[in-house]
Amino acid sequence: MLRSIRLRLRALFNRAGVETDVNDELRFHLEQQAQLYIRDGMTRVDAERRARLAFGSVDNAMESHRDGRGTRSLEDTVGDVRYAMRTLWRDRGLAIAGVLTLALGVGATTAVFSAVNAVMLRELPFRDSGRLVQVWEENPERNWYKNVVAPANYYDWRERVQAFDGLAAYTDYLTNVTLLGRGEPQLLTAAYTTGNFLSVLGVTPRLGRGFEPADDWDNGQRPAILSHRVWQNQFRGDTAVIGKTMSFGGRLPWQIVGVMPEGFALPTPGTDVWLPMLWPQTNRAELWFRRAHWMRVVGRLKHGVSHEAANASLQTVVMQLQTEYPATNTRMGAGITPIRDWIVGDTKKPLVILLAAAGILLLIACANVGNLLLVHALGRSRDVSLRFALGATRGRVARQALTESLVLSAIGGAAGFAVGWMGARGLLAMQPSGMLPVTDIQVDYRVWLFTILLTTLSGLLFGLAPAIVVTRQSPADALNSGGRTFTGGGMRRWGRYLVVAEVGLAVMLTIGAGLLLRSYDRLSRVAPGFDPQGVLTATLAIPPSRYDSLNKVVVFYRSLIARVQALPGVERVAAVRQLPVTISSWSSNLAVEGRPPLGQTDILHREVAGDYFRAMRVPLLNGRTFSDADTRETPPVVLVNDALVKQFFPKENPVGLRITFDRVPDSTSMWRTIVGVVGSERQGSVAMPPRPEIFAPHQQDPSRGMTVVARMLPGRDPMTIAAPLRGAVRELDSLLAIIALRPMTEVHSRAMSRERFIGALVFVFAAAGIALAVVGVFGVLAQLVQTRWREMGIRLALGAQRSQVRWLIVRHGATLLVFGITSGLLVALGATQVLATLLYEVRPTDALTYGVVALLIGVVGMFAAWVPALRASTANPATTLRSD
Amino acid sequence: MKDLAPSDVLRGTLDLLVLKTLTLEPMHGWGISQRIQQMSRSVLDVNQGSLYPALQRLELKEWIDSEWRASDNNRRAKYYRLTAKGRRALGAETESWRRYVVAVEDILATT
Repeated sequence: MLRSIRLRLRALFNRAGVETDVNDELRFHLEQQAQLYIRDGMTRVDAERRARLAFGSVDNAMESHRDGRGTRSLEDTVGDVRYAMRTLWRDRGLAIAGVLTLALGVGATTAVFSAVNAVMLRELPFRDSGRLVQVWEENPERNWYKNVVAPANYYDWRERVQAFDGLAAYTDYLTNVTLLGRGEPQLLTAAYTTGNFLSVLGVTPRLGRGFEPADDWDNGQRPAILSHRVWQNQFRGDTAVIGKTMSFGGRLPWQIVGVMPEGFALPTPGTDVWLPMLWPQTNRAELWFRRAHWMRVVGRLKHGVSHEAANASLQTVVMQLQTEYPATNTRMGAGITPIRDWIVGDTKKPLVILLAAAGILLLIACANVGNLLLVHALGRSRDVSLRFALGATRGRVARQALTESLVLSAIGGAAGFAVGWMGARGLLAMQPSGMLPVTDIQVDYRVWLFTILLTTLSGLLFGLAPAIVVTRQSPADALNSGGRTFTGGGMRRWGRYLVVAEVGLAVMLTIGAGLLLRSYDRLSRVAPGFDPQGVLTATLAIPPSRYDSLNKVVVFYRSLIARVQALPGVERVAAVRQLPVTISSWSSNLAVEGRPPLGQTDILHREVAGDYFRAMRVPLLNGRTFSDADTRETPPVVLVNDALVKQFFPKENPVGLRITFDRVPDSTSMWRTIVGVVGSERQGSVAMPPRPEIFAPHQQDPSRGMTVVARMLPGRDPMTIAAPLRGAVRELDSLLAIIALRPMTEVHSRAMSRERFIGALVFVFAAAGIALAVVGVFGVLAQLVQTRWREMGIRLALGAQRSQVRWLIVRHGATLLVFGITSGLLVALGATQVLATLLYEVRPTDALTYGVVALLIGVVGMFAAWVPALRASTANPATTLRSD
Repeated sequence: MKDLAPSDVLRGTLDLLVLKTLTLEPMHGWGISQRIQQMSRSVLDVNQGSLYPALQRLELKEWIDSEWRASDNNRRAKYYRLTAKGRRALGAETESWRRYVVAVEDILATT
């Protein structure tokens, strides 16, 4: 075995040595034979001739020896590759164009695939992650699906559901804490978790330890776990950080007990610090503990327990809880989702769409390179004929042509990999915040394999046409006609197929981009119910430790609003608990005094300080807004939005009615009087129509987390008061960090950033696709003009008008475009259905988009056809006829 | 005495003959061709051109081994030697050849 490998290796790498040996051996043989004849009495010359005759052909022996080395095909390949490099180098302008085109296609596809890989394929950083599931609550009556969980229900599941090894809970909404004592106050994003969080996930901290189960309940300890990023940035990667304390401004300092491993991204990639729940021991028995839903729950299935079995055992407990706690759990369901699906969530669809778009771009690139190689093959038709004439088989010639494509695709693929690597980095940097649920996009073996596979397939794909065309010619043709045979059917037919294909693909891609952009345009034109122009927003959360009475909270925001109101250029300042188009969860029941219960309702509610509605230009439709006179001493009042009136009081004036947030009012219910009706703002997102909403005055319902909104006088830039606003906050509380300070226009546009990002990216792909397709049309027609140059000359010589000659070429281009555009439109009709769920008020068959795209590509394509047509009409009858 | 043995049959059994020849001593290519001719009393005239591919084939199978050394007349020549693997192969090949010959004999006898 070893010996034969050595022989093969020697044959490969010491070719000259092996040849000499064979030569020597055969020569020795011939001489020995000749000696024999000389001994029989022949002359030396006769003896040598006789010996050669007896041996047969030495060349054949040598050749069969070469065949017998077992390295023939490899050697041929090496030869083919060398030859391909040489011919590509001779045609380097064309080769460079091909490599760049491929780099673009492979690069785009690789970049998107890296993101797909990071989000959907990579092993999650949890031990045995196949056994992890997300457990959620649902309530069909309230339209709750995959909802957050009430803590008491979580504890009951944890104790009663047999299918789980462990069940942990965490918060996934943004909570902020302010890190003090390390320079400027640092705002950190915190997630609260149960003590068993890391052990259920099967994650070992990078440093130190996780929390203890006892940390669920307040025991005087304040343990905290840092993210890898905060540890690196704020603590300079100091390994002695474990055991140190840090202050969030509260009474007790927090002790750092651990550091998360790099890339840990639950609940979000942006989480800075994990803190334990630390509930008061009395919580378990309280009503709100089962009524308020706000935790995410992750469970580890016992070994060998299927999802179905786990779900069944969960349902048993859910039923028990429904009968045990009718007040809170009547319609409360629950379910499970594998953790991977949970994390990928709604990122999957956009990623798949982007990957498809990049893939189409790559196909267009392949068609283009295929065309380039056809032109290249044309230049080599003499070579090929010669090879046929010398006895090369069709297979051998086809293989040579394919090798050439593969060499080109390998170079293009390598360049594409580099482009893809940079593209992936760009994608991560430019993504709308939080779109990709990962901290990093790594290039691992899957990305390598993908790119290599993609490159090889592309090479075979675009190499197919030249290989077929090249082998179709007969040896005699080329030698007879001066190397022009490919000008015939094969070359032109394949060139046309490729151009029609790439025009069609470009049309499809552009329609996709057009639909997404049109949908984004629709979205950005949606009247959000407020005027985002000229408003600065500042989000704050004041810590309960220093603002321990509701009065302090009210006073803080009242003073802040007054200070900001005094800044120059400010028209009106107010505050609201959550800005429109960014609102998450928080919803309540609704009951109207003296009326039968409304059943389960799902009403949003927010608190406002100052004249929020005037500041945001939300119209007051009826009644009055809040005033400073609405305090905790006066009867509770609320405003309702238009959407609520339409749903619950379609035919009456609700002003003066009294409502409560309790589903079934009792003696403890707090009744609030509706004093006015305001216009509806878009709440959760721009795309979702407004939901019924209730506003309460901050003075009656104080909240520590509020966003200040400052409306500027006409023509004033809101950012001019950014620094003074910071100053005003600092003057009131020097330990307070502002969570976010941005114009309302940015908040509004960020609410549509995902749609914009996806639309823009697909548009970039489409633009590149159009450019390539147009170059394709141009290339084929230019080639046509060149090969029919003589014909043009003859036509002109025979009296054809120049315009007629031009028309000939233009007509040819128009035919290609019509075929390409028509096929593209037809395919798009079906293919764009996948976009349906991503589109806002635009149908996937939107006629306008289809029409504009067809027109656009038609016009641009005709321009591309016009240039070669012009050139054709300049053919000079005299010189063309003389040139051959 | 030429062409008495159809070369096709010879080609199939050339490997066998080469192996057999090499059981005596290491030998170079020309020597092998001479020895086969002698042993068959010139009935088998080895096609010299096809001997070398056969040697190459056997060497890749590791049935024989080769080295360069000085010949009787002090020239540099490539000598082939039977390997242990080759010796075993010779046994098996001889066996199957004999069965083949018997089978052919039987057919010829019955008709």
